[in-house]
Amino acid sequence: MSLWVDKHRPRDLMKLDYHKDQAVRLKSLVQQSDFPHLLVYGPSGAGKKTRIMCLLRELYGSGVERLRQETMNFTTPSNKKIEIMTVSSNYHIEVNPTDVGIHDRVVIMDLVKHVAQTHQIDSSGQREFKVVILNEVDDLTKDAQHALRRTMEKYVATCRLILIANSISRVIPAIRSRCLTIRVPAPTESEIASVLQVVCKKESLNIPMELAMRIAKSADRNIRRALLMCEACKVQQYAFTANQKIPEPDWQQFIRETASMILSEQSPKKLLEVRQKLYDLIIHGVPPDMIFAGLLKELVRNCDMAMKCQIASHAADYEHRMRLGNKHIFHLEAFVAKFMAIYKKFVEESMGDAF
Amino acid sequence: METKIVACPVFYLCYSQGDKKWFKPMFDFDDDKPTSKVNEVTQQAKTITVPEPTEEPIKELTTKNIIITDHKHWMKSFEPVTVEDLAIHSKKIQEVEEWVKTVSNNNNSDMLLLTGPVGCGKTITIHVLAAKYNIRVTEWITPMDIDIPMENGEFEYKQKQSAKFLDFILNAANFTSLLDDNSRKLVLVEDFPNTFLRTPAEFTEVLQQYKQRAKSPIVFICSESHTDNKNSAANIFTPSLKEQFNIHHIMFNAVAPTNLKMALKRVAGIINKKHTAVYNPPTPDLIECVVNSSAGDVRSAVLNLHFACLKGGSKLNMDTSVVQGKESKSKTRKKKTSSKFMSLGKDQTVSILHGVGRVLNPKVIETETGNNKLSHSPEEIIEQFISQPVSFVNFLEENYLPHFSCIDHVDKAASALSDADFMLAEWREKLCQEYGLYTAVASLMLANKAPISAWNPVRGPKNMRIQYPTIREIPLLEENQLYKGKILVADYETYCKIIGNKPGT
Repeated sequence: MSLWVDKHRPRDLMKLDYHKDQAVRLKSLVQQSDFPHLLVYGPSGAGKKTRIMCLLRELYGSGVERLRQETMNFTTPSNKKIEIMTVSSNYHIEVNPTDVGIHDRVVIMDLVKHVAQTHQIDSSGQREFKVVILNEVDDLTKDAQHALRRTMEKYVATCRLILIANSISRVIPAIRSRCLTIRVPAPTESEIASVLQVVCKKESLNIPMELAMRIAKSADRNIRRALLMCEACKVQQYAFTANQKIPEPDWQQFIRETASMILSEQSPKKLLEVRQKLYDLIIHGVPPDMIFAGLLKELVRNCDMAMKCQIASHAADYEHRMRLGNKHIFHLEAFVAKFMAIYKKFVEESMGDAF
Repeated sequence: METKIVACPVFYLCYSQGDKKWFKPMFDFDDDKPTSKVNEVTQQAKTITVPEPTEEPIKELTTKNIIITDHKHWMKSFEPVTVEDLAIHSKKIQEVEEWVKTVSNNNNSDMLLLTGPVGCGKTITIHVLAAKYNIRVTEWITPMDIDIPMENGEFEYKQKQSAKFLDFILNAANFTSLLDDNSRKLVLVEDFPNTFLRTPAEFTEVLQQYKQRAKSPIVFICSESHTDNKNSAANIFTPSLKEQFNIHHIMFNAVAPTNLKMALKRVAGIINKKHTAVYNPPTPDLIECVVNSSAGDVRSAVLNLHFACLKGGSKLNMDTSVVQGKESKSKTRKKKTSSKFMSLGKDQTVSILHGVGRVLNPKVIETETGNNKLSHSPEEIIEQFISQPVSFVNFLEENYLPHFSCIDHVDKAASALSDADFMLAEWREKLCQEYGLYTAVASLMLANKAPISAWNPVRGPKNMRIQYPTIREIPLLEENQLYKGKILVADYETYCKIIGNKPGT
């Protein structure tokens, strides 16, 4: 038995639940004989990959759903062997180049070259090009992005790239201009709620509208998370009730604990403990920007408006630097220290007023 | 009784005898040099060999030959002559002495391996002890084997390097020189032929031959370096080899500062007695400075002392300018030597820790004008520090918090570290690295207005490698799907565990 997320994933462009007019346009795009490179972007859990798989199915037929996993090996110029996991069908290949860290350039160049050089033998088979799907393009190094731009032009005859990103602000303009950019916005809460209801109906369950709305709200407009939450809810307590407990992700709980630690005491010693917590989060693989957002949300709860503004502006500063810098922990820690300093002053002042 | 027998064509003679006397020009031939052929055993002490004018009536001294040429053999004249002169820990000397004593009494092919950092006195210990027990030391020096074309343009084929080596050590071990009635011999190998570094198996064969046929002890000396691939001791002398041939292994440590100081005082004594024409008498401060900068390396310490004590060009401007100049000179030299060692990979971690200590516990001194000043300015620390700025900043980041008492100061420091990381990320710009390092160092030194002085062990930076869960760790995932690590953590992990733990499945 598989997860609801996978089981009820729409497989046809026409069966998508939201952004329907976009789906229609995509369909007509594919019905033309050719299509350009695509850059699909949108927040996590908006349905980018689902849409792309539907598109490929439209293009090649159900053959694209016969997937197989392969490990590919590459050698870097410094003679280091790297291997990367790929998932492919006869018509396309998908890869996360960021898995290999700073060697992503090699992967991109070699992989695309590799795919592009093998022509489709069966020319009567639908298309004369293959598709390469690259995930997390916005997290690629600048080097790799520049390599990509050259590769894109060179092999356009035999291969099409579909790039997936969360935000195009970190994709270099050269790539942006070479692709048809398609934005997939996050579904609205009511859209998520209706998807949940449809899925529950298929599972022959009954979900109250209130609960569906609550799940949609706490899932942060992330449909994948919403479906997972819904299924987890079902496991914990069936016969849904409108106000049953919705389990939240571990890391969110962890961030909340960290935030309450910061609020409880503002001293270098406490900061040391907080740093340990942050280390745990980062090493565990929680994306640092999510840590940042989570911390900020929890911390500003106890602040007045003026201070909220101040804190948010500092957070923006440090978050920006974190994206430019290398060591995420430095900036997270600097933000926490800044907050502690401001908060301590605020507490001391309000104490002074009380007397 | 120290003689070097050199097995090499005369062309290289001056080179081999110039060993450890770097100042001797390579092509400085003497006319009376014997023209011998390959493998001819030549005695080296052929220039004017005059016994050193003795100032102390010690037996070793009188027998020791010192070559005096036009060049100043000051290095030689400062060499220790008695066991007491050695700057090495007395226990170590004792250990070596025991070995020398036992092997000098039997005619076995015993083997000894001496290892230790450069300049800690391994070779001189053997020489001094050999002199004491009246043992002739024969040293192998690898000849340069460039093929010299014959007159008709053909190349002469030479003996294999390892065979040449074996011949030499066997001859040296078994046959006594005609000029010497002394029967006790010792073979010294410090300069390993390259072929052994490439194929250690060949060395095993040579040792086997030696063990069977030779009748004298042999001593191997290896300098240790921190990098493994250059460590000949570790590469050639594997534990199994040592066991097979019963090689006695004595490890030397870097010379302790107190011993080094004693040795330098002795050198200073010699300078005061005999070399006042060339040197200014070294002051205790100067010796102290040399000791600090040489990191337990006697040879380099003597070299530094030589340089520091040299008199200025002419005697006229000595009085005023040289005194001042010496002051600054000694300072710059200190920096130079310390950085030189770091680039060799020696004591690197120590100096990182040292640097971290200086940054996190800044000492403030008052100047004459009443202003406060840091005893080590940030510029100075950065200048003395040669390593990746990133690694140093990581060390600072890991360790700075326990030194702070007030969160406001931490705020400033953390903010500066964040700036520094931002600058360091721009690795294409060399200047950015420096600025980043400077920002981090200067702000950490200045931000802390109320430091806590407590013992804080320095910790290394954390390994921040992200470990994403694998697909197998999480139940219920589709086999043939490509999941992103981030999303596995953010979305799937928690819920799949809840769903997977469903009762009844």
